[in-house]
Amino acid sequence: MSAAHRPIMALLVGLIAYRVILGPFTAYMKQKPMEEKLGYLPSTDVMRYMSADHKELLGASLVMKVIIYFGGIAEKQQTNVIVQPPDYARMSGILHGAIKLDPYNLDAYYFAQSFLTWEVKQYKLANDLLEYGMKYRTWDWMLPFFAGFNSSYFMKDYAAAAKYYQRAGELSGSNLSKLLAGRYMQESGQTELAITYLSAMEKGERNQALKKNYQTRLAAFKEVRRIEMARDRFKEARGQLPTTVEQLLQSGFLSPAPVDPYGGQFYLEPDGKVATTSKFAFAGAKKENKQNTGEPQ
Amino acid sequence: MVIIIGITLKGIFRDRIFQGIMALAVIFLFIPSAASLSMRQVTELSITLSLSLISFIMLLLAVFLGATSIWKDIERRYTFSVLSLPISRQTYLLGRFLGIALFILITALFLGSMAMISIKMASLIYPPARPLLWSAIVATIIFDALKYIVVVAIAILLATISTSFFLPVFGAISMFLAGTATQQVYDYLHTPSALVAVSAVVRKAALMLYYLLPNLSGFDLKVHAIYAIPLNIQGLLLTLIYFLVYTGIVLSIGTLLFARREMK
Repeated sequence: MSAAHRPIMALLVGLIAYRVILGPFTAYMKQKPMEEKLGYLPSTDVMRYMSADHKELLGASLVMKVIIYFGGIAEKQQTNVIVQPPDYARMSGILHGAIKLDPYNLDAYYFAQSFLTWEVKQYKLANDLLEYGMKYRTWDWMLPFFAGFNSSYFMKDYAAAAKYYQRAGELSGSNLSKLLAGRYMQESGQTELAITYLSAMEKGERNQALKKNYQTRLAAFKEVRRIEMARDRFKEARGQLPTTVEQLLQSGFLSPAPVDPYGGQFYLEPDGKVATTSKFAFAGAKKENKQNTGEPQ
Repeated sequence: MVIIIGITLKGIFRDRIFQGIMALAVIFLFIPSAASLSMRQVTELSITLSLSLISFIMLLLAVFLGATSIWKDIERRYTFSVLSLPISRQTYLLGRFLGIALFILITALFLGSMAMISIKMASLIYPPARPLLWSAIVATIIFDALKYIVVVAIAILLATISTSFFLPVFGAISMFLAGTATQQVYDYLHTPSALVAVSAVVRKAALMLYYLLPNLSGFDLKVHAIYAIPLNIQGLLLTLIYFLVYTGIVLSIGTLLFARREMK
């Protein structure tokens, strides 16, 4: 082989080796566990000092990281693949870091709200986060709207909810929040409140995994509402509460039979409240609620 | 002086740096689609990405052009021929500085226009919740350019005393990083917890550094541009005066040192 051909041979060998390694390398990267992908980050203070003038970029990229991580798991759950539940505590920690870098980032508040409430049941934490955001996003009606929903639906603190809704109403200029303030400030209106909230969230959602999440929950709540209405009609006609959902079906007050999109069975509690065996969560996602509290680290 | 500015600009263009920037500017076309990953703030994310990209490109330019131009001249012994002409060392140094500063401004203008096109595109596809504040976007890009002109001045100052390009390059990067953080340190030192935790000596030293190092966080207006928060005109004027005074001081120290430098 002449000296002139050596570099060409070296290049060819290099290219072939690259082609050979590329497949296994890509496969290795693809099957890396999600937890590893979420990774560990330096403390927010360190990031703040080191990010120079790219704080907003860093904040946005942290939010992106969490969204992509969650999207991967949620899509698997929605196709009934049993996977390890998402690490909500870590997600919450990263989002808390992101808003320290950029307290205006709406995605962070919005996403934290979407999982801190139903999935992790950290209502106080969610509202503290929203309160923090309201100090900065003074024009945004969404944050007080979320906080109002959390206060009334989850925490049953109607006084606080009314205050938030009033603020959301003033900021949005629409009568949406005023409507909410009046009609839903009582126990009986809670399902309808959840449907209104979920419809609003689902409508504006662009992330497919999250949208699907909202649609599933919305479908479940619409079924609950249907059973509640049948229950009320039953009570009006017979003068007493029905004891089972089957009773409603057999007596013709409810048709067709309700379907829980989470795969559970609807039943009536002794006080007439509609509940489901799935507890509005996919089977694989049941246990984690106790383990991952969502508290920032 | 005008001749030196012209030569500097020509040199930069001859090194194909502008073509490189134009190639990088293709990234702006992909920003709206990258930003569509955002859930509720696509336009805001487009602005964030565009402004950060501009800022990053200008940082590289400021550090490398500022640090290498004088060093290269000395290394290649161009300075002997240039300084044998009837121009003072001071004129030479300032000409070099102004040439690079002008190039930074041209780059800001070019990249700024590209960014605005990409932001406009994003806002048409995904209308933002609040109307865009174009004045804030323009101001952010201009003040970013000013910030990097300060970095150029610092790099040139370091180049006048250095014999290699390591000190100007890494010195300018360190000063840039420190300059963006000084305000945070200053704010921290004035919190009640810091008053207890930090000793008086350390606090004094930190305050000295705060006044000595450039305060670059004042030039960062990104939050205003991204979230359409109105600008404080008085604050901008003060920042502009700060820019003129600080750059003036750095350059006068640079010319003093350069005048005394022995060149063999």
